[in-house]
Amino acid sequence: MSIAVDHADRVAETTDSRGRLEVRGVSKTFTVNGAPIAALNDVSLTVAPGEFVALLGPSGCGKSTLLRLIAGLDRDYTGRIVQDGNAVTGTSLERGIVFQEPRLFPWATVRQNIALGLKNAPISEAGKREAVAAHIALVGLDGFAEAYPHQLSGGMAQRAAIARGLVNRPRLLLLDEPFGALDALTRARLQTELQRIWAHEKITMILVTHDVDEAVFLGDRVVVLAPRPGRISRIFDVAAARPRARSDDALIRLRNEVLRTLEHDGADDGKAGQSNRSGA
Amino acid sequence: MSETILETDLGPARAFAARGWREWSGNGLVSGAIMRAKAAAWLLIVPAIALPVWIIGNERGWLAEQILPRPADVLHTLNEMLASGELAQHAGISLLRVLLGFAVGAGAGLVLGAAMGLSRRVDDHVRPLFTAIAQVPALAWIPLAMLLLGIGETLKIVVIAKAAFVPVAMNTSAGIANVPRALVEVGETFRFTPLQMLRHVVLPGAVPPIFTGLRYGLTHAWIALVSVELLASSEGLGYLLVWGRQMFWLDTVLVAMLVIGVIGFVSDWLLAGVEARLQRWRTDGV
Repeated sequence: MSIAVDHADRVAETTDSRGRLEVRGVSKTFTVNGAPIAALNDVSLTVAPGEFVALLGPSGCGKSTLLRLIAGLDRDYTGRIVQDGNAVTGTSLERGIVFQEPRLFPWATVRQNIALGLKNAPISEAGKREAVAAHIALVGLDGFAEAYPHQLSGGMAQRAAIARGLVNRPRLLLLDEPFGALDALTRARLQTELQRIWAHEKITMILVTHDVDEAVFLGDRVVVLAPRPGRISRIFDVAAARPRARSDDALIRLRNEVLRTLEHDGADDGKAGQSNRSGA
Repeated sequence: MSETILETDLGPARAFAARGWREWSGNGLVSGAIMRAKAAAWLLIVPAIALPVWIIGNERGWLAEQILPRPADVLHTLNEMLASGELAQHAGISLLRVLLGFAVGAGAGLVLGAAMGLSRRVDDHVRPLFTAIAQVPALAWIPLAMLLLGIGETLKIVVIAKAAFVPVAMNTSAGIANVPRALVEVGETFRFTPLQMLRHVVLPGAVPPIFTGLRYGLTHAWIALVSVELLASSEGLGYLLVWGRQMFWLDTVLVAMLVIGVIGFVSDWLLAGVEARLQRWRTDGV
C-alpha cells in the first residue's frame, strides 16, 4: 500500500496530465522478399491521460506493429509519435510493455524478473525492494516471489509480466494481446484484474487485441483497425460505467455493432485481397 | 580426430550429468538414491560384460599375453607405478599441459566467440578465416608448429590450445547469437546498457551452448595432448603410451589409457557440475 502513497506523491508533483499520447500520420512499410508491404497507412490517434484504449482488428491489420512503434522498439517509420510532449525516439521507462508471451527471463525468479525492470530506475535500493514487493502483491502473486517462470502457470506468468511492465510506474502501459494465449477462464479473470489495476494506478493503457469482448469490456474507446494497409476504420466510445459487468446490455449491444464493423471490413479485405491477387 | 563440433543434442547427457552432480552433492532423497543406483547400474553394464570376457579370454589363451595382458597384471602395474610415483609424475605433467593449453585456448575461444556472437561486423570479417583454421585438425598443425616452435612445451600448449579454442569459439558465438530476440527486446524496454544486456540477458541465455563448447574443448584438449605427446615428448601419459607400445609393455599402455579416461571423466564431471550450478533454475523445485 505504501506504493500507492508514493505514487500519489509523484503524480502530485508531475501533475495529472501525463500519459498523453499523440500518433500523427504514422505509416510503416515492411519489405518482404524485396517487395514493399504497407503495414500502417497514415494512422492518427490521440490518447488522453488515464484513458484505456483498445486497438482491435484481425491479424495483419498492423495493431501490434503500431504498438511496437509506440513502445519505441521499432523506429523505422514516417510520421510522429509524441508522449507528453516528447517525441518517441526509443524505448523509455515512461512506457511499460506487456507482450503476448510473458517473456520472463527463465533463469530469474519472479522477484528477480520484476527487479530487473528497475535496474535503471532513479530510486534507492530500498525503494526498489519495496516497489518489487508492492507489485508482486498488486498482481496477486504473493507467495510466488521465489518461483522460477517454468514453475508458473500461463496466467501466473502473465501476471508477473504485468507487474514487471508496471514496476517503473510508467505513465503509459502498452499491452500486446497479453491474454491471447490463455484459456477462457483465466483470460476473463485477468481482464477483471487488469480493470482493477488500471483503476488503481490511474495510468494510460493501450491494449492490442483481436477479442471483441475483451476490447469492449476494458476500453474507454475501441479503435477498430482494418488491414492492407493497416488503418483506423472506426472508433467506438464505450460509455458504460465502471467497474463493468460482462452481462451489461449496453456492452453486448456495442459488441454486436463492433462485430458488424469487423465483418464489413473483412468483406472489403476479401475483395481487396482478390484484386491484389489478380493484379499480381 | 573430428574437429567440426557445434552444439548437438547433448540434452540427455547434460541432464544426466546435472542430476548426477546434484545428487552427489547431497540433494538427493530416497528417490534420488534409487535413480543413482539405476544410473550406476547402467554405467556398469559394459564393464560387467567386458571384464569377464577379458579374464576368460586370457585363461583360454584367445590372445597372446604380450598383446592383451591379464587384468591382474594391469592392476599390478598400476599399483607399482602408483607406488613409485612414476604415474603421478607422468599424469601431473600431462594434466598441467592440458590445463594450460585449455585455459589459453578456451579463454581465447570465449573472447572471439563472444565478439562474433555480439557483432555482425566481427562475424563477417573473422568467420571465413576462423572456419578455415578450424577445419584443419590440431594434429595437422603439428608439423608446421614444430618447425616454428621447436618440440618444447610451447608446441604442446599451442596445439592443445588450438584444439580447445575451436569448439569453444564456435559454440559461444552460436549461443550468443541465438539468444532469443524477444528477451533482448525486454532488456531494451528497461533501457539496459550494453553491459547490463550482456550480464542479465545474453550470458545467462547462452550458458548451455557455452558449456557444451567448454566440454567439447576439454575433450579435444585431451585428444590433442595425447597426439602431441605421442610425437614429441619424453614424459607424460601420451609418451607412456608410445613407450609402452614400443617396449611391448601392454600393461603400461592400458594403465595410461585408464588414467587418461579417468581424468577426462572427472574433469568433464567437474565442468558439468559448474554448469548445473549456473543453471540451478532448470531443476529447482521440480
